[in-house]
Amino acid sequence: MTVSTNDRGLPVATAPRTFRVPPAFWLIAPAILFLALFFVFPLLKLVAISLPGGSIEYYEQIFTTPVFLRVIGETFRVSLIVTVVTVAVAYPYAYAMAHGGRAILLVLTIALLIPFWVSLLLRSFSWIVLLQNSGLINDFLIATGLIEKPVRLIRTPFGVMIGMVHILLPYAVLPLYTVMKKIDLRLMEASSICGASWLKGFARIYFPLSLPGVMASAILAFTLALGFYITPALLGSPRDMMIAQMIAGQFNEQLNFGLGAALAVVLMVLTAVAFGLFGAVRTALQLRGRSKDGM
Amino acid sequence: MDKLRRILFWLVVGLTALFLLLPTLIIVPMSFTTTTTLEFPPVGFTLDWYGKVIGAADWQSALVNSLLVAVAAATLATVIGTAAALALHAHRFRGKALVMGLLLSPMITPVIVLAVGMYMVFSGWGLVATRLGLVLAHTVLAIPFVVVSVLASAGMVNPSLAPASLGLGASRWFTFRRVTLPLIMPGVLSGAVFAFITSWDEVVIALFLADAQTRTVPIMIWNQVRTNLDPATAAVAAILIFLSALGVLLSYKFREARP
Repeated sequence: MTVSTNDRGLPVATAPRTFRVPPAFWLIAPAILFLALFFVFPLLKLVAISLPGGSIEYYEQIFTTPVFLRVIGETFRVSLIVTVVTVAVAYPYAYAMAHGGRAILLVLTIALLIPFWVSLLLRSFSWIVLLQNSGLINDFLIATGLIEKPVRLIRTPFGVMIGMVHILLPYAVLPLYTVMKKIDLRLMEASSICGASWLKGFARIYFPLSLPGVMASAILAFTLALGFYITPALLGSPRDMMIAQMIAGQFNEQLNFGLGAALAVVLMVLTAVAFGLFGAVRTALQLRGRSKDGM
Repeated sequence: MDKLRRILFWLVVGLTALFLLLPTLIIVPMSFTTTTTLEFPPVGFTLDWYGKVIGAADWQSALVNSLLVAVAAATLATVIGTAAALALHAHRFRGKALVMGLLLSPMITPVIVLAVGMYMVFSGWGLVATRLGLVLAHTVLAIPFVVVSVLASAGMVNPSLAPASLGLGASRWFTFRRVTLPLIMPGVLSGAVFAFITSWDEVVIALFLADAQTRTVPIMIWNQVRTNLDPATAAVAAILIFLSALGVLLSYKFREARP
């Protein structure tokens, strides 16, 4: 710490000695030490447990046993479907926030943030009540004559997906909104003046411009979806188990710590890869933004 | 055609907003039902379920555990996170991006992975089934929120104020206490609220680390939801939602209090 600079890049060290802020090391050391002990070490411990004596037997077991492959496949399947649905639902919502005016923005933001602040557990609980046979959704469907007797909604993949979409929606809307509010709607007007239909204008102009937001929100939703535990445990049936439940089961019921740790490492790696994609998309987005500013 | 598209669009947006709000909106009314099963719309009006929850010994002890753990974790995370955020804000150093990544990574690590990892490590250290273990685990989860919040706040402070105070002869500690800290206080406080709520709502790690004596409110809810759904759970949920709303209002108030 010979020459320190403040956040505007002005050198602070030109001032007399007493002007110096306390060395960064002493401020940041507690955080690093704390996270090293209670965050990084437990993750490394899992890696160590999953490789007893350097043997990769647990990983072999995971990637050759149909049960585990099915659970990993199911996790991917559910996460993919949930991601597609979430982004599809988030897209018009973010569009309304970006181009609907101040009052609309305020109302939609409140609607978005209120559930954000209610815990995942409580929202899953609420969905159980809503989706049960005597719940509001079934009552509504019967009242409208769409169905005659209650349909089974909880303890099905459908119930899990409803709960997951609900939790992921705010995460998906925000990146979309950030990108969309920078899109100039006059481009659409121009295309319509040039004779393009709305659909054509949207497909050729608006949608391509919003694509970075779509990518960012899809990857974020997918990353988060992979690790879901509470929602599938409460709204799903054991048959459509996701990987997080399988990990918990290895530790709680099977007491096969090595296998559980290996599954946890697999989930960790999958999440890191998915999130790495998120970072790459964001960097690409920033680069694009910069080159546009330069024009 | 154009009009039809517009109507359809706003219908979809409206339904999405309803979908977002519905689960939150039905919980509170359900807690007043006089029936023994969860009904929406509720039947009649009673506060019995609240009385039942508040009077029950196991809910009381869970509430005490939750409060103790959340207050301790929020305090610890706020101190550690604020210091780290100040360092990240005021200094440039090698590996800064890496440190930033480390500080924020608990946010995206799947909680189940953290839970089992901590379970394995903490059981060796005698921290399983202790409140301290829960505090340490929840602090890990809460640090990123404090860092983000304080960094945002520090970014808005006029950077020449601290050097001015030092230049006028104030000591470094005095400058921190009387200049820097008051200026970033909104960020620190809203970070603390985030940290508190993170711990207050956390269930997955608590499922692995807590026992019958140290279990928190979310674990009680989890057990209830998995065994029998009765309106008492809705009453607890309503209380939690009220407290969260209070926390959110507080954190916005702190933000507005920015000089």
